[in-house]
Parts: sequence; C-alpha cells; structure tokens
Amino acid sequence: MGLSTVAAAVSVARFHQGVAWITVAACGLSWVPSGLRWLRVAQREHYLAGSSTRFAARWWTITPVNRAMAATAVAAGVISVWRPLAGILTGLMVAAGPLGLSLKGRTAPLAWTRRLRTLAGVWAVMEILVVVIGLVTGLASVLTVVAALAVPLLMDAACVVTAPIERRLSEHFVADAQRRLQRVAPTVVGITGSYGKTSTKNHLVHLVEGTSSVVATPASFNNRAGLARAINEHLTDGTEVFIAEMGTYGLGEIADMCRWCPPRVAVITAIGPVHLERFGTEDRIVEAKSEIAVPARDVVIQVDDPRLAALADRLAAEGKHMVRCSASDRSADVSVIREAGTTRVTVTIGGETVATGVELPTGVQPANLACAIGAARSVGVETSSIVSTLADLPAVGHRLQAVRSPSGFTILDDTYNSNPAGARAALAALGELEGPGAADPGGGATGTTAVVTPGMVELGSRQRAENYSFGSEIAGVADNLVVVGRTNRRALEAGAASNGSARMAVTWVANRPQAVAWVRDHLGPGDAVLYENDLPDHYP
Amino acid sequence: MPDVAVIFGGPSPEHDVSVLTGLQAARGLDLAGSGPVAALYWSKTGDWFAVDPGLEAEAFVDGVPRGATKLQLVAAPDGGFSESGGRLGRARQLDIDAAVVCCHGGPGEDGSLQAVLDLAGIAYTGPSVAGASVGMDKLSFGALMAEAGLPTLPRQLLSTDSAAPSFDGPYILKPRFGGSSIGIDVVEDFATAQARLSANPHFRSGAVVEPFRPDLSDLQVAVRSWPALQLSAVERPIRSSATADILDYRDKYVAGEGMAGAPRQLPAQISPSLEKTLREAAAQVATLTGLRGVARIDFLSDDSQLMVNEINTIPGSLARYLWVDPVVSFGELLADLLDEARQRPTHAYTTSGADGTVLRSAGSIAGKLG
Repeated sequence: MGLSTVAAAVSVARFHQGVAWITVAACGLSWVPSGLRWLRVAQREHYLAGSSTRFAARWWTITPVNRAMAATAVAAGVISVWRPLAGILTGLMVAAGPLGLSLKGRTAPLAWTRRLRTLAGVWAVMEILVVVIGLVTGLASVLTVVAALAVPLLMDAACVVTAPIERRLSEHFVADAQRRLQRVAPTVVGITGSYGKTSTKNHLVHLVEGTSSVVATPASFNNRAGLARAINEHLTDGTEVFIAEMGTYGLGEIADMCRWCPPRVAVITAIGPVHLERFGTEDRIVEAKSEIAVPARDVVIQVDDPRLAALADRLAAEGKHMVRCSASDRSADVSVIREAGTTRVTVTIGGETVATGVELPTGVQPANLACAIGAARSVGVETSSIVSTLADLPAVGHRLQAVRSPSGFTILDDTYNSNPAGARAALAALGELEGPGAADPGGGATGTTAVVTPGMVELGSRQRAENYSFGSEIAGVADNLVVVGRTNRRALEAGAASNGSARMAVTWVANRPQAVAWVRDHLGPGDAVLYENDLPDHYP
Repeated sequence: MPDVAVIFGGPSPEHDVSVLTGLQAARGLDLAGSGPVAALYWSKTGDWFAVDPGLEAEAFVDGVPRGATKLQLVAAPDGGFSESGGRLGRARQLDIDAAVVCCHGGPGEDGSLQAVLDLAGIAYTGPSVAGASVGMDKLSFGALMAEAGLPTLPRQLLSTDSAAPSFDGPYILKPRFGGSSIGIDVVEDFATAQARLSANPHFRSGAVVEPFRPDLSDLQVAVRSWPALQLSAVERPIRSSATADILDYRDKYVAGEGMAGAPRQLPAQISPSLEKTLREAAAQVATLTGLRGVARIDFLSDDSQLMVNEINTIPGSLARYLWVDPVVSFGELLADLLDEARQRPTHAYTTSGADGTVLRSAGSIAGKLG
C-alpha cells in the first residue's frame, strides 16, 4: 500500500517532468518566429538598443486581439509555475503574435547581413543561456517561458552587447576612409539638420559642380559606417569638394564623425522634433547638431529658427566665420525670399540683390537653397557662377513632386517627408493647387482632394499633439482624410474631428496598398491627392 | 576551365555607363554559353572586386555591391587578379584567359588599364595602349586626322596664354581628355572661353576649342577589326530637345539602357555619296588609329559636307545596337572580340640591342656623374 503510493507519486513527478519538457520545447520553438520579428525591427531601427522593447509595447497593445493575446501569454506564463502545461499557451501566443507584425516584411524585408547574423547569434546564445540557468537551478520550464516572453528584451540586450563589436569591426573601414580623405585632400563640407539635409546637399552639388569636381555622399549614407563607406567607395582621386551629409540619433555621434572627417565648412539646415523620442528635448537636438561646427572654419546656418539664430551668435562669439541664411530676412548674409504670390524668389548675398525672379522647381525650399548658396560661396564659387546655375536648378526628387495619374487626378508625393514643418508645407501646396478642391471644398465628385497619411513618428512626447494638430489642419484643406495604419490613427482622427468648420470624410485603412486602392476607387480627373509620409510595415 | 573576364566601372565620369556595358557583356557571354564568366568591378576609388555576373545595375547604385570579393591586381608576369586575404590569408589567383574591357572614359579607356593588363599578361579586347591614348586625346586625334588629309573642324589647344583661334566664335569648348560629352561648354567669344578654362573643373587637364556649328548634326558608325575590318550601318542620333546646344550626356546615356535605348535614326537616311565618303573616311580612321576591337566613329555633317569628330575606342554597350546591317549578334560580336584578344597581341616588347655591350663599356656610375 505504502509502496504503491510512493510509486504513484514518482510516476506523477515523472509525468510532470515530461510535461515540463513539452513546455520547454514549445516555448523554445516559439523563439524562432518571434526572434525573426524582433530581429527585423532591430534592423529597421538601426540596431539601437531599446527599439525592440518599445515596438513590442506598441504592437502588443495596439488592437484588442493583441492585447488579449499578450494578457493570455503573461497569465499562462504565471500559471506555468504550478502547471507547466500552461506554458505551451504562452509559446503559442509568442509564436503567433503580435498580429500585424509580419515575419518577413513587405516594405522592409529582413536582410541577412553580416551584422544581422552576428546579432541573431548573440541573441540565440542569450536565449539558450536562460534555459541552461533553468536546467542548473531546476527551473527549466519556468525560465523557458520567461525567455519566450522576453524575446524583445533579450534582442535589445544583444544590441547592447554587439554595439562595441560592431564598432571594433568598423574601425578599419574608418581608418581606410581617413587615409583616403588625407590623400585626396578635398575641401570637406558637412551638412546636418533635422530636415533639409539631402535637398541642401543636392542644391550644393548643382551649384559647385560647374566650378569644382565634387563628390557627395549618396542618399542615406549619413552615419559613421555610411560616411566611411561613401569615402572608401566614392571619393575619387582628384575630388576638390566633398560634401558629407551627417545625421545623428544622439549626442556625440557627429563629433565622432568630425574627428576623422572634419568639415571646413559646416552647414546646419534646420532644427525640428525629428527623432525626438531618442533625444528627449529639442535643446539636445540643437546641441547634437552643433557638434558639426567644432572643426569648421565657416559655419553656414539657417537663422529663421530663433534657436539656430542664438546658436549662430554663440558660434560667432567663439570666432567662427558665420554665414547666416534666411528665407525671410534680407539682411542675412544670404537670403532667398519668395516673391509674394509667385513661385519665384529673390536672392540676396550680403544684403545685395544678386538675382530676382528665379523660378524655383517643385519641392525646392528657399531656406535650403539659401544654405546651399552660402556653402557654395564658402567653397569659393563666384557669385556670377551661382546666379547662372540657379536657372537650371533640378527639382527635388520625392520631395513634393506633383504628377498626373493615368486616370487624370493630381498626385502630390511627399512620402519621403516625416516632419511637421514639411507636412504643413505639403498641405499648403495641396491647398494652392489650381483647379481642384481648394476653391470649392467638398464640391462633389470633381475637384475632390484627399490626404493619405499614416501621420508622423519619432516625435517622442509630442507625437500625439503634432498628429492631432496635423489632423485638424488637414480638415481645413482637404475633403477626405485616409488614415493609414494604427500608429497615429487616434490622434489624426481626433484632430480631424476637432476642426468643426470642416465637412471632411475620414477613412481608415490598414496599410499603403489599401490606401492606394481607395484613391483609385474614389478619385478621378480634376481631383488631387497628397501622399504625406509613408511608414515601413514594422510600424503598427 | 579558365574564365572569360568582363572588366567594368573605374574611376571615370562614365563609371555608371560602364557598369551597364559590363553587365550587358556578362549577360551576353552567359547567353552565348561560352563558359564561365568572371565579372570584375573596378570601383570609383580604384579598388577591384569580383562580383556576381548576374547582378542588375541597381546593385551598384550605392557603390560596391553586396557580396563583392576584394581583388588585387598585380602587374607582373605571374600577376593578374587574385583574391586578397582569402580565408587562410592566402591569395587565390583568378584563372583568366581573356578580358572584355568595358570601361568608358578615364583610365579605363585612355591606355592606363591597358598598360597594366599588358604588364600582368592578361589578353584583353579593344584598343592597345597606343590606340586608347590617341582616341582619348582630342587634340592629338584631331591633328592626326588633319595631317592625313581627312576633313575635320579646326581644333586648337585652349590655354591661358593661347592666342585667339584662327576661326570666329561662337566656340565649343571640350575637355582635351575624356570620352563623353561631359564638361562641354558653348561660349560666344574668346574672352569667355578663357574664363571658362579656370572655372570648368573638366578643363583642369586641358581643353580644346573648335568653332561651334549648330548647323551640323551627328552621324555615327561602328567599326570592328576582327576577323576583318567591317563597318556597321550609319546612325543618326536624335537630340532630345530642339533647344539643346549639343548631343549631351543625358541624350547619349541617361535616356535608356546605355546607348541602346537612346533615340536614333538607324540606318540614317543620307545620300549614297555622303555614305560612301563616310565609309571611306571611317576605314581610314580605323587604320590611322590602329583600331582593335569595336569602336564608334562620330562625324559631323550638314548632309553634304562631312567632318571627322572623334573616335570612341570602347563605345557604350560596345556599340552592339549598330550592327543591324550587316547583322552581327551580340554573342558573335563578343566571340570575335575575344578571338582577337587571344590571337592579336596588344604589345611586343623587344630587348634586342640590350645585349650588355653598353653595360660592359660603361665604367663606374660615379664617373658618369662626374
């Protein structure tokens, strides 16, 4: 009798142990799809530690289904301490969710680069380490469940661990770049700013290329690794002017680039709440951008923004040669000012008018052009040469291009823009379009205007407010708002509803293809649509 | 089996067009089934890489494509291309039997690359060092044509101390060296021409000046040298806009897939007598420049007069699209180019005469310096 009780107890214990292994297997398997998801997010977010957790928090709370799945996963995880089988449910949830965040990605598929493979390896080791600790302490099933729930956290931890490795690996590319730069010895122009960097760079190339042989960093090569690659692969012997776009996600990054690629001419185009969630405050953004001025002799700066005007005064006091640029103040060192009611501008240099009636192509912002002119002067381009090349300034690609669709409506493409100031300018352009909508808001089938947007992101604490006011402003201009995705849905819709004067229709679609389909179904000849910003599909 | 190599890219303003030509050649060789192809990419900064020959142009947009293997090029008899720093730190030599040179402009078409390939012992298609250099130097080429009695526009060196040309303006200014229309300027008078000389970065290594004749239009013909001298149909390129001063770089290359996509009249509708003059002149140009491979010769004409303008010794798309009459397929063109590369040497070094006599009787070097 006593013996059989013991035997039964042992078999129950064995059964539990067996069950625990099923849980370990289920949760272990769930790491794979979950890991792929968060690897993709980490890659899209430039391997910055914290992004996976931040996006996980967003995704798991964005829809009722995802919230239910998250709650189930956690609850089952807790129950699994006593009933190991419950952990299987956690594994299932983690493997399947969050719904909407696809494994492979449509707009931004996972690319198995060397860097990603390293990250995947380090992350996998961390996951296994947790289970090994479980085996040693006898908590295998509990810790496997925890490891499944903590995939985004461990992914961030892996980002932290790999960051110094990546830095070490990039060291020799940077050393190569530094050597090449010293050998070719061009005049280096560094351009930074929250927005307008690429446009200003392109304008500057145009103004300089008739006078000097010029090489500019290709689009999006604006961090440490990208700059090194641009120099190693594009800086041809004989280059006289090298234009480097320098972006930053945090303090010290530009200072670091300036150590091995010091610009003689520094350009600061604009300050705005871009990447605000990484910086915290806009003052810190100004501080980060101003690092570019340290090695420079000349600093070209847009002073329509009072914060940059203050920075200019500070730098002048430090003995920098300042070139203040403006889109409104004729007394600035360089001004490009719109002639009232036209698409033409007047250009002044040192207070003197050098050109009037200059037609600006689509998308060219006067402030950016002013900065480009200031920088061109700093690298020695004659005023006469600047004036003659202004006449054939190219339009800015993907920056508010107006094109006609095959079925006859106008498309304003501002999908590459992501900042509030640009969004406002685009909206104004939609309002100014001749023909449709604006003159006759809500005027029936023809002349309809629509704005298609997922809203703006990376605005930190101001994200909701910025999208809310954008929604409200859209309501004052357009007949239709098509909100794409869930990221800013509530803020945009609430903002749109707050504008009482409007009779705008608001539609919600899950993704870009659905938005395009909506436009095709609803717009015809004489209508116009503004596509404002586009988010890769790792955003909800 | 040794590989056929395709060389493209290079530190040249025509780097991008060269990538298109190179990828077309690699694809053409692959389609012709002539064995393994090694695609050798020469970067803008002068580095060498082995890349997948099946790549699309887009892979080169940002620079060196993903998955490229770095190579070293050693100019020595047992040199050639090798993978630098292989897995075990050992260099793996590429077994190359002949190379199709697809470089345009710059050191790929001016004899620099050709000289290194000669020294490395790699057989290659297209011009030799001498043919490439004369084709790249507009001043030398123009003088050579004039000297041989071929009709050309007067062409003079433009320098800061040069006297006004013997002809009247408006003038067309061209970089002395360079293959494409990049850097060309049209000016009204000689004072402006001299001002442009210091301002235009493309004139740093010299510029030539010619009378600007908007009444003349372009006529082009491809010539190949193997198995025998052969001329293609004559082409009349069409300018994209009536206001454009000259057939610019955009017209030539950007509009489509290399030259093959540009607007044109082919064969050009010209009088039989003009065509005959053109063909005779083209054959003469080929002989004068020691043509090797396939070249494109550009003429200017007002439909009665004909002027030799320039030669492209390695033309965009290897001028494959011009072979409509006679019909030469791209595969056949490439096969003949490779045949010539293997069989017709680009150089013959001789040391006869260097038999030690001079050295024996030389005495001490110090004595010579004294």
